[in-house]
Amino acid sequence: MTGLCIDALRRSLDGVFASLLATCDAEGVPNVSMISQVHYVDPERVALSYQFFNKTRRNLIETRRASVQITDPETMEHHRLALEYLETQSSGPIFESMKAKLAGIASHHGVADVFRLLGADIFRIRGIETVPGPTRPRRSDPAMLLAATRRTCVALDDCGDLGDLLDCVTASLQREFGIVHSMVLMSDPSSGQLYTVATHGYADSGIGAEVAPGEGVIGVAARENTPIRIGHMTREYRYGAAIGESARRARLVGEEAHAIAFPGLASPRSQIALPIGTRDTVEGVLFAEAEDMLRFGYDEEDALALVASHLGARMALLRGERAEAEAPEDAAPLATSGAVTLRFFPVDQSVFLGNDYLIKGVAGAILHRLVREHLATGRTEFTTRELRLDPMLRLPTHAENLDARLVLLRKRLDERDACLRIEKAGRGRFRLLAGCELRLEEIGGAEAPA
Amino acid sequence: MAESPSASRLPDSADPASPRCAARIPPELLALAQNGAAISLASCTAEGEPLVGLGVGCIVAPDGTLRVMIGRAANVRLIAAIVAGRAVAVTFIATRDHSSFQIKAARAQYLATGADTCPEIDRQATLLREGLVELGFLPEQAAGYAAYDSNDLGTVVICPERVFLQTPGPGAGAELTA
Repeated sequence: MTGLCIDALRRSLDGVFASLLATCDAEGVPNVSMISQVHYVDPERVALSYQFFNKTRRNLIETRRASVQITDPETMEHHRLALEYLETQSSGPIFESMKAKLAGIASHHGVADVFRLLGADIFRIRGIETVPGPTRPRRSDPAMLLAATRRTCVALDDCGDLGDLLDCVTASLQREFGIVHSMVLMSDPSSGQLYTVATHGYADSGIGAEVAPGEGVIGVAARENTPIRIGHMTREYRYGAAIGESARRARLVGEEAHAIAFPGLASPRSQIALPIGTRDTVEGVLFAEAEDMLRFGYDEEDALALVASHLGARMALLRGERAEAEAPEDAAPLATSGAVTLRFFPVDQSVFLGNDYLIKGVAGAILHRLVREHLATGRTEFTTRELRLDPMLRLPTHAENLDARLVLLRKRLDERDACLRIEKAGRGRFRLLAGCELRLEEIGGAEAPA
Repeated sequence: MAESPSASRLPDSADPASPRCAARIPPELLALAQNGAAISLASCTAEGEPLVGLGVGCIVAPDGTLRVMIGRAANVRLIAAIVAGRAVAVTFIATRDHSSFQIKAARAQYLATGADTCPEIDRQATLLREGLVELGFLPEQAAGYAAYDSNDLGTVVICPERVFLQTPGPGAGAELTA
């Protein structure tokens, strides 16, 4: 323990201004360069990016000492850090977080073509020196973030079901933090995919859009179970391309009707993704983005990580509070007119309303199961418990996220303004409402239509 | 801040006794150094601790020596190392295209004065500010980064012995030979 703490200087570690790095060889010959990021690891350690085997690298291995000068982009204060090299990490949360950030910074500084990260060099901070010079007053107030976080958590506490909870968190991000564009994605344990269950601020909701693990800041945040934040966006981390690639790898080329377009901004400059779940498992990701550069700093990351953590805790609590015996709520009957054919393709459990793609995967299998039973028996009310016990749905024993899938299904049906709706009917219960004559076609063994 | 014993004997073209610098720097790099480059300096203590500092401008003398202006108060230990005869390195980076180079010398001279260079340093600071704004920095950020106190300037006089290209990409770190 050095007793030093760099927490108060984290604004200087966001790569807004390049930092200065000096090393010496064993003979005392110095080398000086500018580096794009000094990454915060903990109060006593920072990490520097290892991108090339150069003179700096040779000096570090030889002497294990470095001096770094960092700059606060708001106050223009400079500080010098005396550093001792400890180790190099080439995988894991610190490495991935630096890789994501470096990709953005490299693009911002016009050197994206030489971007690569070979490792994260971890250093112990041996000294912190304030550099005398002209400074500017600080304008931002971290206390406002604390208050916003508290109000958001209180709002989440008032939500009685998962759908309300998901809508509440994205609305709260706008109301309390001024974050206009955000979304929540849930993890599918069987496929590893993340699917979008709530969005806010986009022209198209994109409910149901999927992200593969490891793709973009969302996929990396989920895979590494660590927040990922970029202040200068770059093509490598844009999701439009990522989703297209994901679809191709999933053999969905030529089946574009199956892919729901990711609702992200066309030209984001800042993105942040925070895992939802526990220390060991990732249930989903809270994601926000903005067209401004450097919209999310370390303080915002702290605040949103608390929100994501509280969201995960509320989701777990709601699962525990399921009660099957509660009296059903009254149904609002739909006026019946016309007819629609649901086409179900077991090959990927996709469901089409007529010729229009609606949903696939577990959510598609659930809808098929509900409609099939409704047509056979006239039944309209169902329980989540029976779905969990239905072997045909092949829900994972643990972490099946059934509630999230029902939210996804309900929102997709609402979005399509279909003559079919799913409504809550009390805790653990829901109702299938048909406003038209339903027909069901099961295309067994056949491929899904293009 | 104490000056080195030789600080009053700056090598320049008017001084027939001044040595010519071992490494010749191509004109395009000299232009880079004198037109709003981001400048960083380094030296080393006797105990092997690296020291780093920020430069505020550079003027190249006709004989090839470089006079790099730095803030005195901000660079006390770096200046002490230079005065003690320790090796020095300086890197110049063009903000507009990130082209850069580094010079190294076994020793340098230090002058605790630099106010006479202010008009030229002002011009270079303006170019640095403009380059940072072009990169996307806010004008107030760029102005803050390029700010300096004209009453606090010192001069590091360096006769480059080795020159290295630092521009990111293929060739980075390559030494220029005469």
